[in-house]
Amino acid sequence: MSHNFPGIKETRELLKKKKIVIAGVGETEQGKIPDKSSFHFLSEASKLAINDAGIKKTDVDGLVTAFSLVENTFMHCTTFADYFGMRPNFFSSVAVGGATAVWMVAEAAMAIASGQAETVLCVRGDNTLSGISSSGMVALIREMCHAEFEFPYGLTTPGGYALAAQRYLHDFNNRPEHLAAVAVTMREHAAMKENAMNKDPLTVEDVLESRIIAEPLHKYDCSIISDGGAAFIITTEDKAKELGIEKPLAYLWGMGQGYSHQYLTSLQDLNQIYNAIDHSGQKAFQTAGIGVKDVNMAYLYDCFTITVLLTLEGLGFVPKGDGGPFALEGRMGLGKDLPVNTNGGLLSQAHLGAMHHVVEATLQLRGEAGQRQVENNDVAVVHGNGGIVSAHSTVVLGKEPLS
Amino acid sequence: MAEEYNKPLPEFRPETKPYWEGTKKHELLIPKSKTTGESFFYPRALSPGDDMTDDIEWVKSEGRGKVWTFSIHHMGPSKAYKGDPPYIVALIEMNEGVKMMSNVIDVDVYDVHVGMEVEVVFDDVTDEVTLPKFKPVK
Repeated sequence: MSHNFPGIKETRELLKKKKIVIAGVGETEQGKIPDKSSFHFLSEASKLAINDAGIKKTDVDGLVTAFSLVENTFMHCTTFADYFGMRPNFFSSVAVGGATAVWMVAEAAMAIASGQAETVLCVRGDNTLSGISSSGMVALIREMCHAEFEFPYGLTTPGGYALAAQRYLHDFNNRPEHLAAVAVTMREHAAMKENAMNKDPLTVEDVLESRIIAEPLHKYDCSIISDGGAAFIITTEDKAKELGIEKPLAYLWGMGQGYSHQYLTSLQDLNQIYNAIDHSGQKAFQTAGIGVKDVNMAYLYDCFTITVLLTLEGLGFVPKGDGGPFALEGRMGLGKDLPVNTNGGLLSQAHLGAMHHVVEATLQLRGEAGQRQVENNDVAVVHGNGGIVSAHSTVVLGKEPLS
Repeated sequence: MAEEYNKPLPEFRPETKPYWEGTKKHELLIPKSKTTGESFFYPRALSPGDDMTDDIEWVKSEGRGKVWTFSIHHMGPSKAYKGDPPYIVALIEMNEGVKMMSNVIDVDVYDVHVGMEVEVVFDDVTDEVTLPKFKPVK
């Protein structure tokens, strides 16, 4: 789709001038860790990112957090600022579901660009696996669907994505193995990641033979639930130099959002979703001055296998409907056409929104991904989606400053 | 009527009262903007169209539509659904053009397909609440 977005040129000039960077990342152990609270993970992850950047806690003057599925707080960012012991000049809680982590990067960048802060800590952590009650799980789907016109019909969270998946298979004559192939590639990548939960080999047959949760989705089409934290530090190249940060920097080249619906009832057709993804992606791509062919690796929100295919197609990497065959041919694997979620994603590494997607993209751009390292590592795209493929956010990150 | 109904009931908003009064009488009422003539669903206090009008007409629906998508649920969201799976959650594209989420019932779940023609049936789940559901058109 062609777009004429307002402010692209100005944003591009601003990013070129300000040189906003990810200057530090951290992720705690991921898994079933029953003896740690949500705020414990947040603190640990923050410390790891601060230490990774090699700065002092007092160098951080901005804070962006998200939300907790376990400990409900009305003012999440300031609650954590109190717990962690900091008095930030800028604070904000981003709460757009799976689009959150990606938008935290943009939120921090906008705060820096408008002089609200210089060095922003973005952090998420939660004890979702150990801490959430069964009523908490029900509350989650109650949030995702309409409490009055959808919830009474017994929709589950996987069921919501299954509705999108069923229509996707119908519209493009694709099959459940096309969905399953996504899970297989994620598992291959997780096997190379030390801090990943599920590393046992997985085949398409394994996925199709796993328990059916909500047709057409099987158990292995669904992401894992985990405990853990992750964080990153956003600042400018100049400030990073001033603070003596020695780690390679990952540069923000562009960002964008796109919105389709909150409730599936409000969905006209799949194009409504594709258009939202396209809007989000094109805004980021145009600001970065790149096209999909310039992208070396993609981090696509994989809460369920279907979201990866819709995003791959919506961002324009492949035509609509071709994501399934692309996945089944293994073309999202390391060393293939477009490495996707080299950390194993939410399907196999751990589930903390897209926090690990941002961390992994940064490690890749820094050339620190070890055996998972993508050879050409100039440009990464990270895309998150919140709700049932409803709210989208994209960032483009580069190894070098935007020029 | 069910002796004891433990599943979630709709959490009403004041502006949807005509809809639920309608279902109780086994009538499916779909809201429509009087300025644009556009039907919309779910019901809202103001039309979600650009007109933003609160001049809303409740139009009795014939209750016919087609399955736009569906999922056979093999697990329910809570213990209250014990014994129910497999059951169908579907998005129905109504002849009025709006979509409704509902269950397709009185059907072999494996016979349900995209495009299946369905019609409304009313399930009096409690004395107070009637949920519109759908069954295949014979």
